[in-house]
Amino acid sequence: MALDPKKHEMPSQDPQVRAHNFSEVALGYTEEIAIAEAQRCLNCKNKPCVAGCPVNVNIPDFIMKAKEGDWEGAYQIINATSTLPAVCGRVCPQETQCEAKCTMGIKFEPVGIGRLERFAADWHNANATEKAVAPESNGHKVAIVGSGPAGLTCAGDLAKKGYKVTVYEALHTAGGVLVYGIPEFRLPKAIVAREVEGLKDLDVDIETNVIIGKTLTVDELFDEMGFEAVFIGSGAGLPMFMNIPGESLKGVFSANEYLTRSNLMKAYLDDPKTPIMKGGKVAVVGGGNVAMDAARTALRLGAEHVYIVYRRSMEELPARKEEVEHAIEEGIDFRLLNNPVEILGYNNPDDPRDPKNGFVKGIRCIKMELGEPDASGRRRPIPVEGSEFELDVDAVIMALGTRPNPLIKNTTKGLEVNRKGGFVVNEDGLTSREAVYAGGDAVTGAATVISAMGAGKLAAASIDKYLSSK
Amino acid sequence: MYKVVRRKALRPTVTQLEIEAPLVARKAKPGQFIILRVNEEGERIPLTVAGVNPEEGTVKIIFQVVGATTELLNHVPEGGYLQDFVGPLGNPTETEGIKKVCIVGGGVGCAIAMPVAQEFHRIGAEVTSIIGFRSEDLVILEEEFNECSDTLYVMTDDGSYGRHGNVTVPLEEMLAAGEKFDMIITIGPLIMMKFVTLTAKKYDAPITVSMSPIMIDGTGMCGGCRLTLNTEEGPVMKFACVDGPDFNGYEVDFDEAISRGRMYFEYERHAHEATCNLFKQAENA
Repeated sequence: MALDPKKHEMPSQDPQVRAHNFSEVALGYTEEIAIAEAQRCLNCKNKPCVAGCPVNVNIPDFIMKAKEGDWEGAYQIINATSTLPAVCGRVCPQETQCEAKCTMGIKFEPVGIGRLERFAADWHNANATEKAVAPESNGHKVAIVGSGPAGLTCAGDLAKKGYKVTVYEALHTAGGVLVYGIPEFRLPKAIVAREVEGLKDLDVDIETNVIIGKTLTVDELFDEMGFEAVFIGSGAGLPMFMNIPGESLKGVFSANEYLTRSNLMKAYLDDPKTPIMKGGKVAVVGGGNVAMDAARTALRLGAEHVYIVYRRSMEELPARKEEVEHAIEEGIDFRLLNNPVEILGYNNPDDPRDPKNGFVKGIRCIKMELGEPDASGRRRPIPVEGSEFELDVDAVIMALGTRPNPLIKNTTKGLEVNRKGGFVVNEDGLTSREAVYAGGDAVTGAATVISAMGAGKLAAASIDKYLSSK
Repeated sequence: MYKVVRRKALRPTVTQLEIEAPLVARKAKPGQFIILRVNEEGERIPLTVAGVNPEEGTVKIIFQVVGATTELLNHVPEGGYLQDFVGPLGNPTETEGIKKVCIVGGGVGCAIAMPVAQEFHRIGAEVTSIIGFRSEDLVILEEEFNECSDTLYVMTDDGSYGRHGNVTVPLEEMLAAGEKFDMIITIGPLIMMKFVTLTAKKYDAPITVSMSPIMIDGTGMCGGCRLTLNTEEGPVMKFACVDGPDFNGYEVDFDEAISRGRMYFEYERHAHEATCNLFKQAENA
């Protein structure tokens, strides 16, 4: 049988339609397409894809099950190493991980591993009837700080081994960035809720509204609550701004704020209880996944025009390729090689009570050109003198990344952090404090869901080793 | 869910609730705040802690009905429940080394000022309190302030109770007469804090202001609560939730904070009206 050189396309909502709703963009393969895509896998011996996966999912094995239409079998193989298959199948940057290593990809398009993972996970969620059963307790108690991808993964792995796990979440809903950050149209919240329910079936306790570092300290978790190990997966906290004039004007938001209002607080619904700015012209500054999410959210909230302002070129855009393609299809206006220098505000000198006073009216940018590669290996953007221009906008969303949250560091003695505020950990995920492990964005600064999961997995294995030898 | 153990109407639009939240009650210190949601659909709002009872595991909050969420909160009965209640957030008010303090509270801000005044009284500082209200029907906590203050001034804008005038009047009299405070601490509407700061500045008196801007998470994540401090090194951006809520009054850019506080003004007005109408319909039904 001749090999299909191309990946089977992902059925998606029409761009013109989806730009005005919050339903999921990618609709998922049908079983027929999924089996046909699975047949593209060469099942090669050296399995380069597995090495490309941060949690080493046994990819060829699950695809072999998929070829036979044994979706539960496929799911179980994925689930043996990954806690959140339905999430990863949707948000992993496969093009730089498993699919980047795929042997098919040398000559043709790689196998659509992520799309198959999603199909297997969705099939399981729709058809599986058996609930996970908590194993017999081993009597050890572990506390997890944060219910994002790192924390959920660590909790799941430990619970499966019989540990009594309690997850503490600062917000009112579990899921971390999966619920406050990633929008519904890319990752439906019902999927996250299901994964969290799965952990509860394993007897994991999830305590929302508890801020470690405020409500309870790490020391209290050990001394008063009787936990024997703690994993900190508190995420990347504080949003960064550019330090340019006008960032305090009304209508300037961090992407964290904008997305949290829309996602966690459900401001995207009609008649929301939490307000959000809708409509008008919007500029999103940045080029990562968060910038794409913010831009596409603005569009769906009724913006008449949305710009992405990014200081490098298309080639350097750090966002997942599929998200950039989707954004372009939906009509997001990419203003690349541009950097904001000032946000302009409305000010009516004749009427200090004019309600428009203090709101954003535009953004002044300068054109950039690319010079020599910098420390990150990417070509450094250099401002082109005298090239400044203005865009008329009503809102500016800063998606420039985040710095780690200081709340835990400030209230825990002996926890070492690096220059950027991330926790210092060794190769086992252990911090400078005995029995305190950390991983995910709290260590690395803003990164991906799957790398956070990898860190949660590593810490779970290390905690198991530590406590079982105690 | 968090139980409303006691409810007390202090004034027609000012209510005191005591909420069962043992972890928060154990930790909260004067100057810190909590965030709550009334129900599953509700928004998150920050409110300052007005007192705690660690033995009973309860936290006291006092609020004025100003918008949709406080309207909703005001309709939660004694024995009812709040969906979410998290804290304590922010840093406690700094008390170290302060032997003589002037507390200036305005309106419902007095609810925040009260535990601060009580704390200073407890540690043996000399406490002068100035509390101001629009009119007699909004005066709250006079008794409590009387108990913890060496000197107390009660002011109303319209002269319907206490002394006629703004809180800055007695403050200026004292400062002009040569009174020296180790610290003036002011908590209330932004415009009041701005003028208290200007008064203090005239006499080189040190002043701390308590900021309560718009915020969502309260842990530094959203950045909605950012404000500008004009320091000697130039303007610096701070997040009220993790860096504050207390700041050096001389440095705070009040005009910007006032402007930012009105971000959702139109939305909030409509939301409040809509909520009031719902309650009216329910009452008439």
